Amino acid sequence: MRRFFPSFLLSLLSLLCFSPYAAIANASADSISDSRSDYHEQLILRPLPLSALLASFNFRSNTSLSAFEAHNFRFFPRSLGQILEHAGTRELHLRFSLGRWDAESWGARPWNGAREGGTGVEMWAWLEADTDEEADHKWLTLTNALSGLFCASLNFIDSTRTTRPVMSFQPEGNHIDANATNMHLLYGVLPHEVVCTENLTPFLKLLPCKGKAGIASLLDGHKLFDSSWQTMAIDIRPVCPEDGECVLQIEQSIDMVLDIDRSKRPRDNPIPRPPPAHDIKCNTSKPYHAHDTCFPTDSAANQDWSLSHIFGRPIKGTCPLTDPTVSPVCIQVPDSRIVFASEGAIEKKNPDQASRCFEFPAENDFDMFLPAPETQDGSVVVEHLVKPETPLLYAERSFTGHGQERGGVQTILRNPSPDQEVEFIYMESLPWFMRIYLHTISARVDGQPGKADSLIQEVYYRPAVDRARGTQLEVRMTVPPASTVFLTYDFEKSILRYTEYPPDANRGFDVAAAVITILNKDKSSGSGSGNSRFAAYNLRTTTLLCNLPTPDFSMPYNVIIFTSTAIALAFGGMFNILVRRFVAANEGPENGLKKGVDKLKAKLAGVLKRKGSAPAVTAEEKKAE
Amino acid sequence: MPRLLASALSLRRDPRLMKLPPYLSLLCIVVGVVWLFLLPLDDYSRRTYISENALLPGQVHTYFGGSDQNVFRAYKHETDELAGKGNIEVNDKLESIAKGLGLKVGRQNFTYSSAGNTHSGQNIYAILQAPRGDATEAIVLVAAWKNVKGELNRSGVPLVLTLARYFKRWSLWSKDIIFLFTPDSIAGPQAWVDAYHDAHDSSRVASLPLKSGALQGAIALDYTRETRFQSVHIVYDGVNGQLPNLDLINSVNHVAGGQMGMGVAIQEMWKHSNSYHDRLQTMLRGMLKQGLGLASGPHSSFIPYHVDAVTLQPFGDGWQDEMAIGRVIEGTFRSLNNLLEHLHQSFFFYLLMQKERFVSIGTYLPSAMLVAANFTIMAIALWVKSGQPDVQEVITEKTKTAEEAEKIALPNPHVAVERDLFLPLVLVAVCQFLGVVPLYLFNHLSESALIPAFVLFTVLSAILPFLLSNLLHTSTTSTTTQQYHLIRSFSLLLLGMFLSSLATLNFSLAFLVGVFSTPLTFVRPCPNSPILKWLSLVVLYVLSPTTVVFVASVLPGLDEKVGYGLGEVLRQAAFAWDVTGTYTPVVVWCVWWPAWIVGVVSVLGRPGGGDKKMKKA
Repeated sequence: MRRFFPSFLLSLLSLLCFSPYAAIANASADSISDSRSDYHEQLILRPLPLSALLASFNFRSNTSLSAFEAHNFRFFPRSLGQILEHAGTRELHLRFSLGRWDAESWGARPWNGAREGGTGVEMWAWLEADTDEEADHKWLTLTNALSGLFCASLNFIDSTRTTRPVMSFQPEGNHIDANATNMHLLYGVLPHEVVCTENLTPFLKLLPCKGKAGIASLLDGHKLFDSSWQTMAIDIRPVCPEDGECVLQIEQSIDMVLDIDRSKRPRDNPIPRPPPAHDIKCNTSKPYHAHDTCFPTDSAANQDWSLSHIFGRPIKGTCPLTDPTVSPVCIQVPDSRIVFASEGAIEKKNPDQASRCFEFPAENDFDMFLPAPETQDGSVVVEHLVKPETPLLYAERSFTGHGQERGGVQTILRNPSPDQEVEFIYMESLPWFMRIYLHTISARVDGQPGKADSLIQEVYYRPAVDRARGTQLEVRMTVPPASTVFLTYDFEKSILRYTEYPPDANRGFDVAAAVITILNKDKSSGSGSGNSRFAAYNLRTTTLLCNLPTPDFSMPYNVIIFTSTAIALAFGGMFNILVRRFVAANEGPENGLKKGVDKLKAKLAGVLKRKGSAPAVTAEEKKAE
Repeated sequence: MPRLLASALSLRRDPRLMKLPPYLSLLCIVVGVVWLFLLPLDDYSRRTYISENALLPGQVHTYFGGSDQNVFRAYKHETDELAGKGNIEVNDKLESIAKGLGLKVGRQNFTYSSAGNTHSGQNIYAILQAPRGDATEAIVLVAAWKNVKGELNRSGVPLVLTLARYFKRWSLWSKDIIFLFTPDSIAGPQAWVDAYHDAHDSSRVASLPLKSGALQGAIALDYTRETRFQSVHIVYDGVNGQLPNLDLINSVNHVAGGQMGMGVAIQEMWKHSNSYHDRLQTMLRGMLKQGLGLASGPHSSFIPYHVDAVTLQPFGDGWQDEMAIGRVIEGTFRSLNNLLEHLHQSFFFYLLMQKERFVSIGTYLPSAMLVAANFTIMAIALWVKSGQPDVQEVITEKTKTAEEAEKIALPNPHVAVERDLFLPLVLVAVCQFLGVVPLYLFNHLSESALIPAFVLFTVLSAILPFLLSNLLHTSTTSTTTQQYHLIRSFSLLLLGMFLSSLATLNFSLAFLVGVFSTPLTFVRPCPNSPILKWLSLVVLYVLSPTTVVFVASVLPGLDEKVGYGLGEVLRQAAFAWDVTGTYTPVVVWCVWWPAWIVGVVSVLGRPGGGDKKMKKA
């Protein structure tokens, strides 16, 4: 599946090309860094309820469009730049995600959901092409090239997995001709792709300091992919500030939610053996409490942690190329909590009283320690976490029905706001073998009988073509304040051809996450400028596993055996009858054995004849008869 | 070859051929029954083996134990305090514990009504989200508050809570784990599984507030003991005789028997010497349970949705403690967690005769099919016979001497006579549709009315054949031999058809009904031999559906000293029909009973019309 070889070549190539540039950049970083920095990186840590920690890594670098066109790459990764240029890509978004965001406990998503994708790999891009065919061709080039660069099976994004969303996506960058006909938006998704270390390595290689210095030194595959939720994003877009030259901006971000309890386990002993009895915190107020009986208190919720504990290593200085005005590490905890940082670091509290940033010398290792909040009888005395923001919408999608013929999809959309209506676009890109019945699409408000189809305002539907194109469904709808809406539709499962099944057919087929784009209330402010705040909030549901009717794959083997046997028997008998000539027994020539016997008889007779005449006569008589 | 054809053709006209079918039917039955009794032999059964390589049962170290036992004791105290309290109160406590562990908790109300009783309650379940997963797949651990016998699951519930706490610490789960606590062992799980697949009647069963991915397997724990145990009993029968994938049973067997070194028992065979006798007994018990098609534990409701599930019951006095069964569950869950695909490799149709011996469908199916085929053979024979002029009987019975026989003008035996189809078709159809009456009655009456209704129905069903028989004869044109042939032919044809298709769904039920109805193949109108007639009647009435149901309910059960009693059996049947959708009553009242009625009618028959016509001729 994975294309290791080309990726290896490409990375080698990028290494060869890139290193001199990095060196030059390194040398000239100080002299060139002007008011508008070309590169900055920042790590934002946010402790979440239930002993989770959100770590958002953000790396951003710019290159002016003129420099880019002159192939003068500085911070912009050359390997990626060349691919983009070759494929005529104006804007690119690439996402590698794993796990799920637990909105109930963790609240709103980081970056308002703009930097995340559904499980697996998701990418969308605006390509410059005159015709649809040309766009498709460029898209193919782009996916294949990125597939090699990122060690992901992006080359499997074929026409069946590509859609052209109409309402859900808007360009983030400033395009002079944003609505021009030669801009094509293509969207592809691979829900079954398992994101892992081989995707992280090329990701880190795109950074100016790689993973060697700065906050990127914390990024370790073992920790990143042990997180409860993680998403790696690459966004490339042209940005035109009001004053000055347009730049091409690449923003790489990694957001991960770490389970503090799990991350603190030493790597050489990761097995969660039961702790010694005296290490468990017990609720001593229980009447039955004894040395061998312990009702555990949820002590895991308030734990102390340090960066080196949970990431396995401290931050190795700062990246020398980064903009010194941007603090590399920030943590979002109330000001009342004490945070210890390593020597030489400067703590800067932000005016919102809920976050603080740290600056530290470029050559020093940086570590940070957050002690457990003060507790009394198991309950926390003071507010120790910044209260998570309530998301605009909760969405949960699941299958309904059972059996292998048809099914349904139900999405539960809950608007927590007491007075604000939420308007959003719900997009599904379904595989072609799920044939949806569009007439069954309906919305219903929980607690109210009957359908509430007035909630569905607009439907864009592009039906699937078997084996050529997937279903694309975009629904613009609203959810009234403080209510839950069930959006349901039915579908039929088609039967695949024998060779179309993957090797693990009985696992089921992954159905990509639905993309929900919540529209900004204030539409007028967004639509005008290119860098619109079109989407107020993005979220994605989880992927689904669709069970298709699966044949017994040993059946063809049985059939072959069976038919072979039948043919052998039938053909054998038939052939025998066809080629055999039937004659009466006395008409036919004497067969070999009989001939031999007769010869023997004749010989015997001859011998006997010589001895005496009488037996010879009888033999002759017999012959005559 | 042409000669062979010719001889076959000439054989077709041989009168001896028509004598063959009853013997052929008898042969089928005998071979079918003997076949079944051969199965426990080493040559016909096979050792079990793990088909799905991904399961790797017993290959992991299990770490459950140590200080977890202290936690278990605490949870057990909490559970003991809740004994005897209301469903809601219990669930409040369970919810507070599960939420304390950091699990997502949902509740679901359900109300079923059956036989005039209301079965209502509230399920509570907690979802442990796979640490790196995406809610695509899930496995379920069920602990019913009360087991099928109504005993409090005193150690099972705290053990599942302790396991939930322990599982939370692992980061290797690839599937969500759902911990389900139901107030009872049948209705609660059924309501939950129905709602999980959105196959529920929303007026009786509430929808689930939380859901996860596709269910890949379920383990139920029925652990009422408070002392140490010796072995673990695997209960695997699903509703309507459906079975979980054999790989699941093998995995549990492997983990419990192989890794943990505890005994494993199936089908309540607490001691199994692996002798022919014990194997046969295990197999027959399994067949009986399969044939009844009742839910045998919390796992049963999962199986119709293609979710493989078993219930584990520790039993016997030994030295294994709660942590041991916890480790069995841990090991099994680790195996299920390894699954890349839904369990599909191994057998879904099998008979287990020891924990490590089984026969698969290919080996055992012929036995039920042969029994079912005997009816079809007889039906075809009767159809052919009904098309032939009724010569044989005329000669043998009416005329004693050869001279007289010659006097009678013999009609050409090769010319088919016209069949009078109307009366037989109507009679058989009416009998088939009458089967709906008991089916409706026994599933809709209230509990107190069940026994009187059954007694009344038994009497009516005993009288009905006489009424029908009289009806056939008091009518202006009396029923001919040919019509009796046709009546039996149609009835047996239906029976054979139903049973052979049922054999592929529920082998045991088809076999049992087939064996009980074997006399129907051989009974015939015998107006000239009252002894034979009354003998046939006695056999038929002894093996009538109502008698069998009554005797089965009064006879002591597998391990009980006394039977359940008629009222309990009828109530259970109604409950199974209403809640779990057991179709055994349909087979009994709409397949077996109509065939039996037609059988008795034909024994009572006094065919005359045909003979009279013949005499005139």
